Amino acid sequence: MTRSVRVLLFATAREAVGAASVDWEVPASGSTVRALLAGLVEEHPQLEPILKGSRLACNGVYVRGRRARIGPGDEIAIHPPYSGG
Amino acid sequence: MSCEITSRPLTIARVARQLEDDASGAVVLFVGRVRPDTSRGRRVSALDYEADRAMALTRLRALERRARQRFGARRVHLVHRIGRLRVGAASVIVGVAAPHRSAAFGAARFLIEELKRDVPIWKSDRWARAPTGRRRRRRPSPSVGRSPG
Repeated sequence: MTRSVRVLLFATAREAVGAASVDWEVPASGSTVRALLAGLVEEHPQLEPILKGSRLACNGVYVRGRRARIGPGDEIAIHPPYSGG
Repeated sequence: MSCEITSRPLTIARVARQLEDDASGAVVLFVGRVRPDTSRGRRVSALDYEADRAMALTRLRALERRARQRFGARRVHLVHRIGRLRVGAASVIVGVAAPHRSAAFGAARFLIEELKRDVPIWKSDRWARAPTGRRRRRRPSPSVGRSPG
């Protein structure tokens, strides 16, 4: 049974971590976006300035505020500022 | 499919076909292309585009609905290319068919501005080699690994 969330990294976030996604273990009882980001920054300090300007989404829906709950099996996307066109 | 994210080359004719509609008196096509931008003596040779494909498509479809409601657009086609694009290649095409030109121009302008601002697509520069003697970046010493970025 999965005990992790999948973090999808794009653009500068992907370059900072050196991977397009990482699997991050969370307690079966769940966690918060804030705790996930703190853990990621601890392991990849170069992510910190990028996260400040990024939008986050959980399972394809934008997350408002970093107290949002996440749990095993969730997919969290980190979106640095968009630059399409 | 009126909204697409594709790695294939974009063609204006294909988008134009999607906009055929006898009740539309105006068709506007906007094509965004990779330009040979220069900065600090360097020249962009290509752009790498990437997208959060699933979310980008959701956002594009929402924009399409808004263009129909707000401007009365009868046909909307939004297509963005991803992958490595050379200078001159089309990266995005916005097509709108509407009863009158003001609505068609308005909707097309709205769509490209919102697409750039609100759709999870990113570009990154790929620079051509600078002329010899103008390189400013220091080479890492042989004993030190190069860190990303």
